[in-house]
Formats: sequence, C-alpha cells, structure tokens
Amino acid sequence: MTHIIEIKNLKKYFSNTKAVDDISFSVEEGELFAFLGLNGAGKSTTINIIVGVLALNSGECFVNGFSIDERQKILPDIGIVFQSSVLDKNLSVYDNLRYRAMLYGMSKKEFEENLKFFSEKLEMKEIIKKQLSKLSGGQKRKVDIVRALLHKPKILILDEPTTGLDPKTRRLVWDMINEFRKTTNLTVLLTTHYMEEVSIADNVVIMDGGKIVAEGSPLTLKNKYAKDYIKAYKYDEKILAILDKANIPHNKDKKCLEIKFNDTEKAKDFLVEYSALFNDIEIVKGSMDDVFLSVTGKELKETV
Amino acid sequence: MNKQSEFRKLTYLTDRNIKLYFKDKMTFLVSLITPLILLVLFIVFLQSAYEDSIFSIINGFELDQKLIDAFTGGWLFSSVLATSCITVSFCSGMMVIDKINKANIDFMVSPVKKSTLQLSYVLSNLFSTLIVVFVLLAIGLIYLACVGFYITFVDFLLIVFNIIITSLFGTVLANIIWTFTSSQGVVSGVCTLVSALYGFICGAYMPINTMGEGMQHFVSLLPGTYATVLFRQGFLNGVLNEMNKTLPNEMVEGIASGFDVKMSFFGHDVSTLGLILVITISTIVLLGIFLLINCLKKKKKQK
Repeated sequence: MTHIIEIKNLKKYFSNTKAVDDISFSVEEGELFAFLGLNGAGKSTTINIIVGVLALNSGECFVNGFSIDERQKILPDIGIVFQSSVLDKNLSVYDNLRYRAMLYGMSKKEFEENLKFFSEKLEMKEIIKKQLSKLSGGQKRKVDIVRALLHKPKILILDEPTTGLDPKTRRLVWDMINEFRKTTNLTVLLTTHYMEEVSIADNVVIMDGGKIVAEGSPLTLKNKYAKDYIKAYKYDEKILAILDKANIPHNKDKKCLEIKFNDTEKAKDFLVEYSALFNDIEIVKGSMDDVFLSVTGKELKETV
Repeated sequence: MNKQSEFRKLTYLTDRNIKLYFKDKMTFLVSLITPLILLVLFIVFLQSAYEDSIFSIINGFELDQKLIDAFTGGWLFSSVLATSCITVSFCSGMMVIDKINKANIDFMVSPVKKSTLQLSYVLSNLFSTLIVVFVLLAIGLIYLACVGFYITFVDFLLIVFNIIITSLFGTVLANIIWTFTSSQGVVSGVCTLVSALYGFICGAYMPINTMGEGMQHFVSLLPGTYATVLFRQGFLNGVLNEMNKTLPNEMVEGIASGFDVKMSFFGHDVSTLGLILVITISTIVLLGIFLLINCLKKKKKQK
C-alpha cells in the first residue's frame, strides 16, 4: 500500500491556541479516510494545511510524494468540496466549471468531454446553463462535487460535504462519491459530524483539542472503545440479581433490559452461561457515538 | 507549469472577473450614471459661473459663444473623466468580493500562482474601468460635438493615453488597499471617501488657483492633479488655439492658467511631457509597491 498523504508531527498555532498539536497519520491510496471531531478540534485546520491555504508551524506534510511546499505539484491531484459552495453565484454552472477547469491546464475539448461525462452521470444536463444562484441546495452540491472531480484528481477532500443537506440529498451525494470510488482508485479524505458517514470509512481519526485521541478502522475503534450490549426483551427476573452480584452494568426500562459488556467475547460467554434465563435477546455492537464519547468524554451531536 | 499555460490561466481569470463585474447590470449602470449625474450637476450649477470667469478675464473682448460653450463643456467633462478614472477603478474591483464570497480560497486550492491571481484582479479591474470610462468618453464627445468640438487627433490620443494611465494608477492604488482588507464595509467606506474627496484634491471640481496657497502646494504634490491637468490639455488645447485667433495671447494664457490647462510646481511651469512623466512614474512606483507587498505577504505566509 502506498501512502498518498503522510503527516508527521504537524503543529499549527494561532497565537496561544494550539489548533493542531503534534499530530501524525497517513492515508493509503484509494481509501476513505475520515476525520471526526467537534468544531475547533483541528480537522479543517489540518485540511487547510494539506491544501496550502494555511502554513504549518512545524512538522512535515507530504501529498502524493511531494512536500506541501511544492503546491503547484500537489494541487493538480487534489479536488476539494468545501462545507459551503465557493463558486460564483452570478455565473452559470457551465461558466463556473469552465473557468475552474482551465486553471488545471485543461483544453476546451478535454473540458467538454469531462463535463459531458459528469453531466450524464449526475443528470445535470438541464442545469448546465442555469445561473448557480437559481439552483437548489442539492443541485449546488452536485456542481461543487463536479468542480472537485472535473480534473480527475487522485485525492478528493470533503470538508463536511453534507452538513445542512436533507437526508435524500446526503444519500445522493454519497451515492455519487461511492460510484467514483468504485470506478477509480480515488482517495477520499472526509471531515464530518455524521456517524453514518464515519462508519463506512476505511480508517478514522478522532481529533479533540488539536490532538489525535484515537485512530483505526471503525470496527477496531468500536472493539477498543465501545461497549457491546445485550438487549433482553423476554427474560427471567433472576438475571437482575446475578448482574448485581457480578457488578455488570445494566439498565432496565419498560421495553427491555440492557446489559453492557466490554467486548463481544464476554457477552457471548455470559449468554452461554445463562442462556436458560433469556427468551428473546439481541447483541448490539457499540456505535461510533459510543467510541467518540469514550475517547473524548464529549457527545457528538449530529445537529452540530 | 510553463509560462504559456500560466498566461492562459491569467486570461481566463481576467475574463471571469470582468464577466462577474458586468453580470450585475446595476453595478455597471451605477458606475456609468454617477459620473453622468456629476456632469449634469456641473452643467446646471457651475457652467454659468465658469462662463462669468471667462468674461471677467477677456474683459470686454468679443468671443464666440460656441467657443465659450466648448471651453466650459470641455473643462467640465475633463473634470468628470479625471475623477471617474479613479472612482470607477476603486468601485469595480473583484478582489474583496472574492474574499467575501470565499472564491479566493477556491483559487488557492487550484494550481494557479498567487501572482497570476493578483495580476488578474488588477487587469480585470483596469479593463472594467476602461470599458466604463470609454463609454463615458463617447457620451462626452457626443456632448462636445453638440456644443462645440475642437479636439485634434493628437489631443484625442493624449486623452486616450491619459485615460489608460490614470485608470491603471487608480486600479493599482485600489488593489494595494484591497490587499489588506476582506471587509465589504471597508470597501464601501473607501469608495465613498474617494468619490467625495478625490475630485477636490486632484483639482477636478474647482480650479487649483482658486484654492488657498497651502492647498495649492499640497495638490501639486499629488499625481492625480497632473492627470487632471493632462485631461484639461487634451480637451481644451484646441479651443484655446481657436481663441488665440480672436483674443490677445496674454488673455488666452490667463484663461489657460486660470482654468488649470497649465500647471506650475512651486512656481515652475510643468510641460506636457512633464505631466505625462509624473503620472507614468507614479503608476510604475505604485506597481512596484503592489509587487513588493505581495512578495512580502508570500514570504510571511511561508514563515
């Protein structure tokens, strides 16, 4: 596996605030890599350093084998979708894409071919001549994504791409991205607040206060930091005394009894031992919310 | 990235900036209407006052009314052009608008050099200003053709050169200021200040010799004053030559001095070439400052 992005001991300070505090990580070619964190955790600062919008204070940062000091060599391989559209609202979709495409040295023929490809793929033909300000939120996001992919980059950076979008449009955006990941070896670097987006990532970095507090695949993180649950809907009341005696955390409400375990093995052993006391159960794997809460002590609200 | 492709990017960015500026029809109309309103106000309120000044100088000599109308018309229109080259250039820049809309970040993450982007702002600002000012010039020439037209081909070339160099001067000055701000409030404030103040301190709204001595010395230190006098020469040289056929030379000289067709710098007459050199060198110096600021900003970012 090749490291397409490699960050070593990266530090970025804004006067006395440590926005990014000595972080290191690498992104493999073709993977979906997610940054998870609250506002101000350092996610966007890290991305802004990678794309050269911000200068670093210390550390090393390599993209596609080049140091970020060589911006002109890095940027042709990067496409970025910002949280809100940065395209020209008074220009048509066509003009917006044409002016941006030409900055990548594309010929007119190449631009027209790529535009045809994307407009067919994303059913954009009817909006190509429209002014950007006249489009809906979902249509604008489509244009943002086409702008980022038009020059066929190796790395797609998505800075909270679905924040503020309705669930249907969020699904549409992810369908598009997944489609391109399937057909190309596109590396996706994602920052998000949405757990459902993080859970499909190959690797996740959780940031808090400018530091990386946890990293790994969603499964690894869940196994390491989230507790598994047994949810019992029909059970013998004797189990409550057993749980109290064994000091196993549990919670009983009208619907079910929820029993927490540190890992799946312990849950399985408990079930085997006391199977006679349970009639209707399910084992629930800990969620990324639990992981985040466990490693940061903070709750990640999806409405952030 | 070779120079040819960087030049291509420059042309596309410049084209984009101009298109964006003129896409907003109201902006273009306001840019055009403001100087025209100024011209109308000049004609309505000041023309008769300037006619009286001419009569007081010629003191009883006969002078064709057409020549007087051509002189006052040319004087008033040169004032409008002298201020418009600067005020339009301050109000037609895209740099701050891009900062406000965050389009500049989109360009920062595109493979385009910062210097190319900055140059595109200056060029598009200049071309947008020139488009507006040349439309104004066409309207002014039609107006002069109606009241009395004495502009020679050489004078016309002088006017065109002066429009280009003064617009470039205003554009570079504006872009130096815009480099340090990303606030629409600052832009509006500076535009209002320039629109209100510039006409007075460049000697466009009133003849320099009607100002106090200290103010006369102050305005003679500003490059904009030299551009105004160049416009006066372009529009009025022909009328003065025509006046010379019926009036004594001293009187024509008196009119020329009284209405800033001639300029002195602390008692020394400044020739037409001198005027051209002052405004051209000032523009080159401003360009140097603009480049220096951008180099320093780039170095600061790298640190």
